[in-house]
Amino acid sequence: MNLRLLRQTLRWNRARLLPIMVASFGWGMLIPTIYVSFAAAFKQVAGQVPFLKDLMNFGSGSLFTLPGSMTLGLQHPIAIAFVAIFAVGSTTGAIAGAREAGTLEVLLSRPISRHAVYLTTALATVILMALVLAALLGGEMAGVALQNLGAEVDLWQLPLVLANGLLLWSAFAAFGMAASVTFDRHAPAIGLTMAFLLINYFLEILGSLWKDVSWTQEYSLFHHFNAGEILTGKADPFDFAVLAVAVLLPVIYALIVFPRRDLAAPS
Amino acid sequence: MHAALPSTPRAAIVTHGLTKHYGKVQALVGLTLEVPAGEIFGFLGPNGAGKSTLIRTLLGFLHPTGGSATVLGRDVVSDSVAIRARTGYLPGGIALYDSLSGAATLDYLSDLQDSNPVRREELCERLQMPPSVLRRRVRDYSRGMRQKIGVIQALQCDPELAILDEPTEGLDPLMQQAFYSIMDDLRAQGRTIFFSSHVLSEVERICDRVAIFRAGHLMALQHVSELLDRRKRKVELRWRGVAPDLSTIPGLADVVVSGDRMRATLLGEVAPFVRAIASPSLEDLTIEPARLEEAFLEYYAGDEASEEVRG
Repeated sequence: MNLRLLRQTLRWNRARLLPIMVASFGWGMLIPTIYVSFAAAFKQVAGQVPFLKDLMNFGSGSLFTLPGSMTLGLQHPIAIAFVAIFAVGSTTGAIAGAREAGTLEVLLSRPISRHAVYLTTALATVILMALVLAALLGGEMAGVALQNLGAEVDLWQLPLVLANGLLLWSAFAAFGMAASVTFDRHAPAIGLTMAFLLINYFLEILGSLWKDVSWTQEYSLFHHFNAGEILTGKADPFDFAVLAVAVLLPVIYALIVFPRRDLAAPS
Repeated sequence: MHAALPSTPRAAIVTHGLTKHYGKVQALVGLTLEVPAGEIFGFLGPNGAGKSTLIRTLLGFLHPTGGSATVLGRDVVSDSVAIRARTGYLPGGIALYDSLSGAATLDYLSDLQDSNPVRREELCERLQMPPSVLRRRVRDYSRGMRQKIGVIQALQCDPELAILDEPTEGLDPLMQQAFYSIMDDLRAQGRTIFFSSHVLSEVERICDRVAIFRAGHLMALQHVSELLDRRKRKVELRWRGVAPDLSTIPGLADVVVSGDRMRATLLGEVAPFVRAIASPSLEDLTIEPARLEEAFLEYYAGDEASEEVRG
């Protein structure tokens, strides 16, 4: 771990972190409002057209309950895009991107081990993702308070939701870092990580929309982040365990591979 | 004033049979050399000769396939962090952080080095990087200015050993002279410089010893002066009347006489030649200095790599 590198990495991300946090907060605040405004109408329409009912149970979320809506808000492509900027963009750029640009060479010519570079970058990413998730959840809580819906969710479970969300995104970030230490160029690292993320998302959505293949959800990391269940006091330790393993495996891989890689001159 | 060096080992860099393969490609083959502390050591070779591979192996970026190497008494595989703490490095074609200013770049890199940038002010002055320029973002810098930042970041913490990969690339002639003068001062202060280049004239100008690489092999390792002593010089003379007898002059070859002029090459000492031609009939004499370029080209004779050599 290198504090100077950590400080500078966070400083470099400051400019994009602030607008993303503001947007995340706004998006989070919108979710309870949408729930209050449209849940009843959605329920009525879904009652008439059963197919629409399935569509409204998108992923692990649901438009018919507040916790389900909050889960949906956190798994919506907009929220995913906010967090993925750091979980995918920053992680793949940290090693492979810096290597392609030539700045990794300048960094590693200082007395910093590759382990330290990896761990510092990983910690910076976790901090950035935690701030974005906190903004998303903070927005949702502000929306809940504005709409007077506090009785429908257990707000004391929020830290657990944050931890669960952070574990999910740390798994994607760890995958991104593993790709980053594997490739010399940014494009394959970001491509592979995006593919991993999209496949997980596809499995989750496919299983939720098509009941015959609902088993596919079990193979998606998104399925193990269920804010709705946690907020109603039904947190499943298995979800945390699965995500923890999904974080650890790529971290171990990267810590083994990165120090052993030959870093030839950037071409 | 700069502090005297702490217990620097006598040899700053030692390699024994250092070998690096990339698959079937042999980038370095059984390299054995020793660079004493306090020396400016140049290594020459065209692109692909193994210069960058050697530098990157010494700094721990590459893992040797065989052999061993130590830098400042530390093993390059197990102790590379400790080596980098005492080494300044200028990569070839250095990449910098475009969003930072020149000053912030230097601050950041000296911070990471965990060492005071005791030479920065002097280097900025000598390389003409005033505060007004350092305040600008690196993305607005010309290639030469980036290179100057590269040189300053490598030397600002007054490292015991500086490894410089083509340091004058992109510098204008005035700044090249300033750089040579900095090298002279570092030599006087006992710092070790490991210097890669394919600009032969500057290696000749500043290095004590030179190694010549070809396809991963060390072709020659000599003092620059020794290498030059063994080079052929071009001589040309003009006389009035009877031509002098040149048949007994040792080392004279390739003699071409046309009218009152003679061109030839001279290998070895100049004194016997000058004594032999001393005569009232001699009108003009030109002896070109021996150039490292010729030595270099000799090692690369018939190799297209020689096309890349610049004087």
